Amino acid sequence: MKLFQPEEVIVENGSGTSPIYRNLRRNLPNVPFRFVDEVARRNGDRSSIVDRFGAAKRKLYLAKHKGEFFKKCPGSDGQVCCNYFVINFASNCPMDCSYCYLQEYLADNSDLTVFSNVCDLIDEADRVLKKHRNMFFRVGTGEITDSLALEPLTGMVGELMPYFVEQPNVLLELKTKSDCVDSLLDFDPKGRVVVAWSMNPQRVIDWDEADTASFSERLNAARRCQAAGYRLGFHFDPMIEYPGWEKDYQAMIEEVFATIDWKGLSWLSLGVLRNTPGLKRAMRERFPRTQLLTGEQVLCPDGKLRYFQPLRVEMYRKMVGWIRRAAPTVKIYLCMESKEVWQQVFGYAPACEKELGNEMAPGAESAWL
Amino acid sequence: MSEQEIRDYSTAKGFHPQTLERWLSWQPDDAGALARLAFALKVSENHLRDLMDWLEEISLREGQSIHAILTSKAIDDSATDPRLGRADRLKRIKEQIRRLRFPRLAEAEDTIRAKIQELKLHPEIRVSVPPGLEGGQLRVEFAAASHAELKQLATKLTEAMDKASMPEIFNLLAGHSSK
Repeated sequence: MKLFQPEEVIVENGSGTSPIYRNLRRNLPNVPFRFVDEVARRNGDRSSIVDRFGAAKRKLYLAKHKGEFFKKCPGSDGQVCCNYFVINFASNCPMDCSYCYLQEYLADNSDLTVFSNVCDLIDEADRVLKKHRNMFFRVGTGEITDSLALEPLTGMVGELMPYFVEQPNVLLELKTKSDCVDSLLDFDPKGRVVVAWSMNPQRVIDWDEADTASFSERLNAARRCQAAGYRLGFHFDPMIEYPGWEKDYQAMIEEVFATIDWKGLSWLSLGVLRNTPGLKRAMRERFPRTQLLTGEQVLCPDGKLRYFQPLRVEMYRKMVGWIRRAAPTVKIYLCMESKEVWQQVFGYAPACEKELGNEMAPGAESAWL
Repeated sequence: MSEQEIRDYSTAKGFHPQTLERWLSWQPDDAGALARLAFALKVSENHLRDLMDWLEEISLREGQSIHAILTSKAIDDSATDPRLGRADRLKRIKEQIRRLRFPRLAEAEDTIRAKIQELKLHPEIRVSVPPGLEGGQLRVEFAAASHAELKQLATKLTEAMDKASMPEIFNLLAGHSSK
């Protein structure tokens, strides 16, 4: 995978004392840095740049995050929720997947920004985790950015890990499409960190996941993390339906389980391609030739387009069958799906989000095995 | 159809500038084919946008021009069918284009519809599936004006449940192909 190199780093005044600034300076010796009083928010700016979202990925901003870092994952209306929490240490992503929901979600605020106030992030997480020691938290950092793609530049995860590995009631999930794991290998994760990959067959990566690591690079990075003592996760999401998808996905799963010891997996998730009418408009503008626009998707009650239900249930069932053949008791969940779909796939649906969240805790039994 | 005619039609109908821009960005043959249809059937903006979405996506998937899709015999026959009024012609053409856009969904809907027919239900019992088959549930509706009528309908429904078609419908809704 080609490492991301921004054209310029723009630093908000006050962020120059951050450890992230120090790391960026060290790791980007040939990139110009510019200080500004305040990183301007360009809400509603419909400037003349044709591909403003694409252009926003070429510069890197370093600024203080002024809101909350620690949030409940919003999930999707009416769908089974997995009780996930998110920490956003950056906004936007240097990769450029054609289906990425950030094209719509961050349309008005798409600057690729890393947040400099790591201490505030840790303080906030500490308040929540200490106050609720009887609760178990699955926390991810990959909601509005890739957890690891910027790691060789920012060293952000390296700054967070020493805190999170000492917390008894948390699993920190680092979700990525990169192979940027070198800096993780020196840490002892103490069973508190799950490194997870979003996986698709190489054909889909070539078509629709620009600037990401190849399938082999992701799998090799996963193997290295497992050897270093990390628990792993895989997200087969978004699954793409196309002529011959079964052959590609089955081969992918076989290769994953031929490389990885499945007993070291924390969870697997499945989810089909989802978009909204607004995201489709963005995709049409930025990726007019992507075949993802042509799938047989229908509008679901939560406002998202998905492959029509019998088709996607059949896809899930096949995937579960291939996974179970290799990993009979691995925890599998569906991302953003209704109870009806859970029932049709597993013959079971979690009664509530707490139930599903708790079943993801280390050592917990899954009711849907 | 000239670009100016398309502009005039869009202005007369009060279309959003983005809709017009998109229409004019098509190849002239494609834009003209849609214009002939839109002008003849007085297509409103919402219908036009649906048609544009579907036509672009069929064209992308099948590698066929929009002009070729719109001038196919089936579409042309519907567009010129003298037995149909303007609204019915538009409805039929939209359905034909929807079926081209969603061929497997249309096939699944047809198969389920045929299975429902096989149940030979009492005319008072209405069985339907949700739009796009989303939700996976079968909706059964009937109304009775008396205890005797309700009993009769319930008996008919119970008889229908014993037919092979009934579990087959649920299997199709749950993604078990009938093939």
